[in-house]
Amino acid sequence: MLKVTLKGLAAHKLRFVLTALAVMIGVAFLSGTLVFTDTIRKTFDDLFSNIYRNTDAVVRGPTAFETNFGEQRPRVPASTLDVVRQVPGVATAAGQLQINYAQIVDQNGDPIGNPGRGAPALGFAWIDNPELNAFNIASGRAPRTDDEIVIDKHSASRGNLDVGDRVQVLTVDPPRPYRIVGLARFGTADSPAGASVVLFTPRQAQKVAHAPNQFDNISVVARPGVSQEELKGQLQAGLPAGSYEVLTGKEVTKESQDLIGKQLGFFKLGLTIFAVIALLVAIFIIYNTFSIIVAQRTRELALLRAIGASGRQVMGSVLGESIVVGLLASCVGLVGGVVVSGLLKGLLSAVGIEIPSSGIVVRPSTIFIGLVVGGVITIISAVLPAWKASHIPPIAALRDVALERPTRFTTRAATAVSVLVVGLIVLFVGVFAHLPRRFVYIGIGAVLVFVGAIIAAPLFARGLARALGAPLRVVKGMTGTLARENAARNPRRTAITAAALMLGVSLVGFITIFASSAKASISHAIDEQLQVDYIVTSGSGFGTGLSPTLGRAISLLPQVAASTPLRFGPAQIDGEGQFIVAADPKAAAQMFDFGVTSGDFATMDAQGIAVSKDKADSRGWQVGDAIPVLFAKTGIVPLTIQAIYDRTEIAGSYIIPLSGFEQNYTDQIDYQVFAKLQPGVTPEQGRAAIEPLLRSYPTAELRDQAEYKKDQEAQINTVVNLIYGLLLLAIVIAALGIANTLALSVLERTREIGLLRAVGMTRAQVRSAVRWESVIIALLGTVLGLTLGLFFGWAIVAALRREGFTRFAAAPGQLAIVVILAAIVGIIAAWLPARRAAKLDILRAIDTE
Amino acid sequence: MTATSPTTTTIAARAEKATKIYGEGDTTVRALDGVDVSFERQQFTAIMGPSGSGKSTLLHCIAGLDRLTSGEVWLGAIPLGQLSEKELTKVRRDKIGFVFQAFNLIPTLTAYENITLPMALAGRDPDEEWLNRVIDTVNLRDRLTHRPSELSGGQQQRVAVARALASRPEIIFADEPTGNLDSKASAELLKFMKRAVAEFGQTIVMVTHDPIAASHANRVVFLVDGRIVDEMREPTADAVLDKLRQLGD
Repeated sequence: MLKVTLKGLAAHKLRFVLTALAVMIGVAFLSGTLVFTDTIRKTFDDLFSNIYRNTDAVVRGPTAFETNFGEQRPRVPASTLDVVRQVPGVATAAGQLQINYAQIVDQNGDPIGNPGRGAPALGFAWIDNPELNAFNIASGRAPRTDDEIVIDKHSASRGNLDVGDRVQVLTVDPPRPYRIVGLARFGTADSPAGASVVLFTPRQAQKVAHAPNQFDNISVVARPGVSQEELKGQLQAGLPAGSYEVLTGKEVTKESQDLIGKQLGFFKLGLTIFAVIALLVAIFIIYNTFSIIVAQRTRELALLRAIGASGRQVMGSVLGESIVVGLLASCVGLVGGVVVSGLLKGLLSAVGIEIPSSGIVVRPSTIFIGLVVGGVITIISAVLPAWKASHIPPIAALRDVALERPTRFTTRAATAVSVLVVGLIVLFVGVFAHLPRRFVYIGIGAVLVFVGAIIAAPLFARGLARALGAPLRVVKGMTGTLARENAARNPRRTAITAAALMLGVSLVGFITIFASSAKASISHAIDEQLQVDYIVTSGSGFGTGLSPTLGRAISLLPQVAASTPLRFGPAQIDGEGQFIVAADPKAAAQMFDFGVTSGDFATMDAQGIAVSKDKADSRGWQVGDAIPVLFAKTGIVPLTIQAIYDRTEIAGSYIIPLSGFEQNYTDQIDYQVFAKLQPGVTPEQGRAAIEPLLRSYPTAELRDQAEYKKDQEAQINTVVNLIYGLLLLAIVIAALGIANTLALSVLERTREIGLLRAVGMTRAQVRSAVRWESVIIALLGTVLGLTLGLFFGWAIVAALRREGFTRFAAAPGQLAIVVILAAIVGIIAAWLPARRAAKLDILRAIDTE
Repeated sequence: MTATSPTTTTIAARAEKATKIYGEGDTTVRALDGVDVSFERQQFTAIMGPSGSGKSTLLHCIAGLDRLTSGEVWLGAIPLGQLSEKELTKVRRDKIGFVFQAFNLIPTLTAYENITLPMALAGRDPDEEWLNRVIDTVNLRDRLTHRPSELSGGQQQRVAVARALASRPEIIFADEPTGNLDSKASAELLKFMKRAVAEFGQTIVMVTHDPIAASHANRVVFLVDGRIVDEMREPTADAVLDKLRQLGD
């Protein structure tokens, strides 16, 4: 039987290749994701091992609280260093200090790197002890005076800078010039994972960090013969209990590696979701291929049964084919995974996210997962067709081939309707009943609706294919008629082929609706809540900002009526880690309409906080209540609720005055500055007044309200484009499925095509008929997919109404583009099968056996 | 042989030194070995011969479905060997009608659509009056909206004949048109074909191995080992059967 299997495979190379490709792409993406994340992981693991290679212990402040962005802890006083040095096992110790934002501006005035999107722009205190300094001088020397710095080699080559050059460095303070006295390497790398680095003298670093006589932590080298554990014990004994945390070098290395591992985990999960989608699509295609093959080989398989093969042997022969396809495809897919990992890096870098990596890490587990997933998926997809094949009675050898034995209409309809109804109920419960974990309901409901749609699809595939093909009859005449009827003749085959595309397209539709609604909601929120003329932004994302000196300068302009920066920082309120926003309350009262329901922004003071109505209602807070807020710098501070407001889209749920922020946070950096002009000042005059102030801040950008909205939309577009790129994978696999189905159909219709050619159909007409059949199938999948996508999009927007999705935008233009692209996908998918059909030998096609 | 000096006006199709060789080297098969034959207009000609005599090959080559190794075939004044694949397709579509033994119809199209298929492929409208006459002749008026799977074998072949007639081709080629039919349906189909020649002035060339079918023709050409060996005018079934026995010896 194995021989029959292998000969069958060799005889049908095209279907073999197309089926294998579907598995291959899925496996390639999955293993590519693993290779990519493992490679990044290894890069960072090596990095941290390197940083802490000589560190035997670290002394730092105790954890204040945890947020989504890591642990928040206070700094340690510089005097701790002296205490640590007295501990018997300590050989040397040095205070480490990191500055979260120190961006180098090159001599053309362009900032080096964009920390909003990629690696951060960091600053550090230079440590004289080479054992504890992760950096080493590559050329030049260490900084000696406060206006001297060393920068990393990577930034130097990016900014075309060298020792002796003078550069501006942007920090929370006004920009100031420094002289580069040295270039440093990080271990053996030119930069720590792509970050740009400025190394200051320790004193200057403390000044820039606003950390006078403070360090982030103290790293310690043990005397020879003292183990890391012993050192840790001695340090704990020598320092006041409760005010410090002591870790061994191994612990701190592992902690850093784990943190990166955790962050990479989210990233890996995100990519894996797309790999799973691709593999799901592949399942449809493999299932469909094997179903068609079994139907076409009914006679041959029945003959095998008639001459004595058992049902099990027949099943084994079909499954055998699937195993060979699955394993071969997975092997090739694994090799493809390495390519994919390179492409992923390129894709992320194309949208502006630079990810450092060195070498390529292919772990045995990656190979194992790739082979098992690819093999198992192929076999699972082939099980049902194989089971059907084993139940072909020997007598079928003598009967005409029954191409499709349809499931009974009523059974299918009943199943589809019940799955759909249950799915819709679960989905609506998730959307409208405000239950905890509602997204789980929505997700399960959506999956059920999707499954229901797939079950139902063969029921209306014929009608829908005819309806979609109706215009073709008129436009393309007989060719169009044939395309339309061919698309409609095997509804189940057409439906499953289209369903593969439907999956990808529904997600494209969903994301499109979600994004357009998000953009519409943000635009609406900006219009409704901001009454400002200009906004100064500092690029996007965290790790970047503007020195408050710029905001102050803007507020002093005579043309400006009111202005305030927005800052934000982590705090813990009511047990939850939060980001809270700070603004000037008087200016905010004039410029922002957050829908204050009680209290007043304008009269807030440093001990005040404003909270959203949602939070206040759910916790029973009222104006005048004091709530404890935990800050990393100052610990628990009771703040009085001085205003309650409704709209949280712009500034979130907690707002404190700048005065309060200054008391409780170390880093004072503005995220954005909002300005409202004096009455009578034209926007042009306003711009002319503000623009000159921005010259020393090359990251600052001046936006009016319309431009600001566009910025927000552009940020969403970046993410959406990334998702589109990843979904393209599922679409490509679905296109392969269309090509495969068409190739098999063409083979099945050899005689028919021969007859058509005999009675005068030209090759071009044959190609055209196959092409249009393909377009109909593609459009069928697209129409179903967009219908589902539109519905899911509506559902999620409805569910997120309270989270700020106040607007539903159907984006008809973009959806129309999806339809056109789908038709093009259909045309491309038909290319090979159409050529094949046109090349069929007429005589072989019409000769009777 | 006959028609040594025919004028093109009375000859619908003609083969000259038609040779078709399959394979290479030791496995060479001469399916046609220098066949000279003409088919007159408004005549019903049958081609007969034992299995492997080359009768189907001859039909395929004259009908522009296959190409000769050497020699030439003319359809009216058109030398088919000189035509490109595309031109040949158009000749088949516009000037030739086909009736095959089986798989004559496109399963997804109705009887009417099958009948008008060549014209639809050419993007031409059928001549309604003529079409009605053809449909009535083959007695398919009440079956026009049916698909092939809803028609009997005899009806299917009648649809095929109607299709061959509908575009008023120069010549109709039929390859064992009654091969899959019972005797009653066969007789009916042959009657229609005969009427098409007698009443509509059509030209039909039919390959068959059935002496009864051949007896409906005006003329029978006998083929053995790729050569024309004999022919018979106004044949009867018995005479054809005798001749076949004689050739078989």
